[in-house]
Amino acid sequence: MSGRTSTSFRVPAAIVAGAILFGLGGVLPGYLASDFTLKLANEGMLLGLLALSVAFLMSEAGLVALGAASIYGGSGYLFAIAMNDWAMSPTAAIVFAFLAIIAYSGVLGALIVRTNPLAFMMLTLAAGEMISHVVMLEAVHDYTGGADGLVVSFKGTILGMQAADFASPQHFWPIGWTAVWLIGVTLWSVSRSKLGATLRAVRQNEERMRFSGFGTYVPRVVAYVLVNAVAAVSGLLHVLNTGFVSPESLGLGVSTNALVAALMGGTAGSIGPLAGGLIFAFAQDEFGARGATQLLTGVAIVLFIVVFPRGVVGGLVATVRRIVPGVDRKQGKS
Amino acid sequence: MLASGLALIYGLRDVINFGHGALYMLGAYLGYTVAKVTGFWLALLIVPILLALVGVVFELLVLRPLKSRSHIEVALVTLGLGIILGQIIIFIYGGEARSIEAPAILSGSVTVLGLSYPVYRLFLILMGLGSCVSLAIWLRFTSSGLFVRAVSQDPSVARMMGINSDQLSLLVTSLSAAFAGIAGVLAGPYLSIDPGMDVVMIVDCLIIVVIGGTGSIAGAIIAALLFGFVQVAGSVFLPNVAALVPYVLLMVVLLIAPGGIGRGRVLS
Repeated sequence: MSGRTSTSFRVPAAIVAGAILFGLGGVLPGYLASDFTLKLANEGMLLGLLALSVAFLMSEAGLVALGAASIYGGSGYLFAIAMNDWAMSPTAAIVFAFLAIIAYSGVLGALIVRTNPLAFMMLTLAAGEMISHVVMLEAVHDYTGGADGLVVSFKGTILGMQAADFASPQHFWPIGWTAVWLIGVTLWSVSRSKLGATLRAVRQNEERMRFSGFGTYVPRVVAYVLVNAVAAVSGLLHVLNTGFVSPESLGLGVSTNALVAALMGGTAGSIGPLAGGLIFAFAQDEFGARGATQLLTGVAIVLFIVVFPRGVVGGLVATVRRIVPGVDRKQGKS
Repeated sequence: MLASGLALIYGLRDVINFGHGALYMLGAYLGYTVAKVTGFWLALLIVPILLALVGVVFELLVLRPLKSRSHIEVALVTLGLGIILGQIIIFIYGGEARSIEAPAILSGSVTVLGLSYPVYRLFLILMGLGSCVSLAIWLRFTSSGLFVRAVSQDPSVARMMGINSDQLSLLVTSLSAAFAGIAGVLAGPYLSIDPGMDVVMIVDCLIIVVIGGTGSIAGAIIAALLFGFVQVAGSVFLPNVAALVPYVLLMVVLLIAPGGIGRGRVLS
């Protein structure tokens, strides 16, 4: 079989396999899993989505954002405030929260992507900590609820669905699963587009790209806004699922969990971080029962950076490529 | 003092040590244990030595094998190790807050410029200044300090000149950990020793180090003073948003000068 024939066979086969996996993944857990297991899976899926945003920026732009939680929790707060205090409809509140986060990310990104990766990491941490402090300020207590957080007074429907539908693990799973797949495929496409190639080239050698006549600033701002849009979707889905948002959702702990999930699954590709989110959520439940949740986080960071830098999914893919001849093909991705 | 230790390890080892806060917490808890047996002064001597040994282990088992990995990866490993160390400390000591009893000579207050001031705070200021000045003198006026600066500025040329960078790395990492140990013991009588003390301190220290210009001791000292000033000014003039002021300072400094105040890698 020629290379061309092989490729022309692979693409539809991958689409069919993906469609089957998407369908089974959306439906089967509702039949197979208990409500508790499905609730954990929902949490893992949303964490995986946040991890996907962290991982995309790491693998494509070589930048680590330690403030992902501020976007995740921030979108939840904006949605809750818009619903509770400004009497917006749920759909309008979602659109408002999402656009506000995009605007904030655009401004912040325009300011901070110029710095070196370590300074970038610190600036995202600082920006995240600032947001955490802002929601606790006495001046905005009536809006944010301070340390108590906010219960969303959900009035109306979104695409015909009530608050109870989002709160039910059985009903929420297919919604989240669909969103995760759409976002995963979108990011996968972006990583294979000109933007993805530019980002990776800038990550490898920014000066070379500038000398070659490429703009290195705008692509990184776009990437930063894009990953924050993903984090915002994750936060909005979370607040729809739980009907509650608290200062903990903005904290460094959530950002660290997303980072760990990304490292666990593998930062390259879309499936790794999502799988990492699911693995981390179930592992955290086990460790939490023994009072050692933080130990899991620390051990996972060290283990997956030092011993398994490709993560679970990346490691499995590499193993399959070694074992199965012909699968190890050029990816067009550096 | 903590920020100086962080700046030092970045200056030579190119490592942003997120685990520095956990070393400080270890210093505080070890100080609590040792002080119960030997008293405060011996604890102030013994704990930094113990922490220096921890620094040696950290250098040999973690930093040296990860020499070829990226800065971000090493920084994240230190974050993970810090979390593990923090959890181990909680396993051993539990979650309740503790404190170290200050020696009698450091208790009470004195009058400074007409104002009553706690003696222990003055002692802390003197210890902090003394440590920073000693560090600066070592880096500026001794041959080993010169070698440290040389390796920091150009490791390849320094190695060609016969400087053993591995030995210097060991020295710097253990010194940085010892500084965390001193800070931990000194914090015992002044602050509460509790499981969250590492996170609170490390965020402030990282802000100071980054504002100072990662790796610049002089920059770290200036940044620490600036940090303290804006914190106090914030709590006096903007009490409602005082907690935000250090973060605003960080963002403003980095946006104006991405390299920080010092812009250098070591004392310059």
